[in-house]
Amino acid sequence: MEAFLSGMAVLADPFILGMTVAGTLLGVFVGALPGIGGSTTLALLLPLTIGINPIASLAFMGAVYCGANFGGSITAILVNSPGDPSASATALEGYKMAEKGEAGLALGMSAVASAIGGIFSVIVMIVAAPLLARAAYSFGPPEYFALALFGLSMCAAVGGDSPVKNLIAAAFGVALATVGIDLTTGVERFTFGLYDLTDGIGFVPVLIGLFALAEMFDQASRQHSLGKLLKLDSVRIPGMAEFRKCARSIVLGSGLGTFIGALPALGATTAALVSYNETRRWSKHKHEFGHGAIEGVAGPEAANNSAVGGAMVPTLALGIPGSSTTAIMLAALVVQGVRPGPHLFNEQPTLLYAVFASMLAANLIYLVLGLYSAKLFARISMVPPALLWPAVFVLSVIGAYGPNQSMGEVYLMLFFGVVGLLFRRHGFSPAPLVMGLVLGSLLEESLKQSLLIFQDGWVLGFLGRPIALLLIGVTLLGLGAPWVLRLVARLRGPAGRRVA
Amino acid sequence: MSRPTPFLWRDRRVALAVAAVALAFLAGTFSFDAVPAALMEGMGASEFPRLVGFVILLLALVLALQPAPAEEEALPAINRCGWATFAACLAFLAVMALAGMLVAMFAFMVGVGWLWGERRPGVLLASAGGMVLCLWLLFVRVFGLTLPGGLLGDMLFN
Repeated sequence: MEAFLSGMAVLADPFILGMTVAGTLLGVFVGALPGIGGSTTLALLLPLTIGINPIASLAFMGAVYCGANFGGSITAILVNSPGDPSASATALEGYKMAEKGEAGLALGMSAVASAIGGIFSVIVMIVAAPLLARAAYSFGPPEYFALALFGLSMCAAVGGDSPVKNLIAAAFGVALATVGIDLTTGVERFTFGLYDLTDGIGFVPVLIGLFALAEMFDQASRQHSLGKLLKLDSVRIPGMAEFRKCARSIVLGSGLGTFIGALPALGATTAALVSYNETRRWSKHKHEFGHGAIEGVAGPEAANNSAVGGAMVPTLALGIPGSSTTAIMLAALVVQGVRPGPHLFNEQPTLLYAVFASMLAANLIYLVLGLYSAKLFARISMVPPALLWPAVFVLSVIGAYGPNQSMGEVYLMLFFGVVGLLFRRHGFSPAPLVMGLVLGSLLEESLKQSLLIFQDGWVLGFLGRPIALLLIGVTLLGLGAPWVLRLVARLRGPAGRRVA
Repeated sequence: MSRPTPFLWRDRRVALAVAAVALAFLAGTFSFDAVPAALMEGMGASEFPRLVGFVILLLALVLALQPAPAEEEALPAINRCGWATFAACLAFLAVMALAGMLVAMFAFMVGVGWLWGERRPGVLLASAGGMVLCLWLLFVRVFGLTLPGGLLGDMLFN
């Protein structure tokens, strides 16, 4: 408690408070630009923060991280182009809402759900950070393998025409994750001698291509049907009825996001996709999904923002980044001379809680910003497509180019734009591919490590790990149940008719 | 528009394409460099990609065996504007190689804006110019990115 209070006290310092406000505003702004998410911004800002004292620097970066996560949902909703990977699930329903003229409502719900999720996770972190860190630390490779497998199996219900197509897309994502140098053997895989591919396929170009460019190509081919501009009177802040409708999805998203975010390597994107799936599963309005369901915005937004707090736990407590953005945060800590790990909780609790305090403040700042500037953000929808989409393209190009200053990433983005268009035309959802790409390396590494641990007796090995076994069981049940039920129904069908 | 479902209906054709990509992926795993047996422990570099390739093949088979719909909806054709926009993206790369990223961005915004139906030259030039200026200020001046200057840029500034 003492550490928490001293952590909160740093916000009384005008410089640190100013850095937190500036970080939040910058985060929301760049998060709203397609492809320029928190990770890109933090990577670009990293050299600039070296000269600042560690607390102010980390408060600034924590605020950028939170703000960008919220800002990413703005373009996800308005132009179907998630500014941040974690907003990809928000685009699924948010953009449909915007198409129906409910952009302001979607943005307002996104702001509130994001803030609730973010504040919830920070409070959980403050109260239970050491316990959660210890729980995540007890996971070994078999548990991670089972968890990644479970996450991929969830893709079956993410969107698109059919579960099989979703699983194919997820498997392609995993296949893409194998590109690059194999960390255990040093062997180059599918690099075709290209230096740009040795570190694997970048997440940013794939995401921008699949979402932003594919949307632009799609809009271009049905451009004649456009021209319905959003009227300002259709923009409104969510009322009590909407909040009541979304309460369950916000609670579910906040819980799932905090938990998934706290698990190393599973970040806000996974949290949002899983939350979208679970929100749909538990919704009383399933028929609205795919046509602009407000619950489909609230759940993922609560989840991806609560994952921000959760992802900071393994980063700070274990030195294991919870996401690509926290990996950059980790680098920032090291640059500042702070060694992340379990000792951080004992040695520098003030620094730790100052980061949490800045994140708490950032959540409150963007709540105000989101609620009072929803109309302003919604105006982006009023820009004529002839001006908006070429602008999205140039932003996408610079977003793909920016992180590594590599033209290879721009070519990759264009390639995945075409892939995204083909996906759309043939009923595939891009989200499972993204999830496969996110989880692919974790799946492979944890499988390899598990097999090394279990040597030849891997079946018995998994049987001896109750958490892994439970997760694999749930995965098999989730994948197999629809088939088994269909088979049972088919077998019962003729018998039933005979009885009748 | 719909028509009676042929034997090779759309999802089957998709399944065939998926299977072809999976086979190419699997074939690619045989081109990896070999690791000396003495250094090998556990799974090698190719086993996991092969496993993924086989899973994709299996899923393609499952997709092909899905029940066919009674009628097949024709895919909406990509119109001339769609193809022209795609061509403009490729032209963007060519202009960028020649004149640099900022010039290519300006030209793309003006060209594609006109293609999509904006006919007011002032609006096109102002939006493209404003956008490029903002990007230059943010990324070049603030973030210190070096954008590709193209052959022209190299000749002028190097």
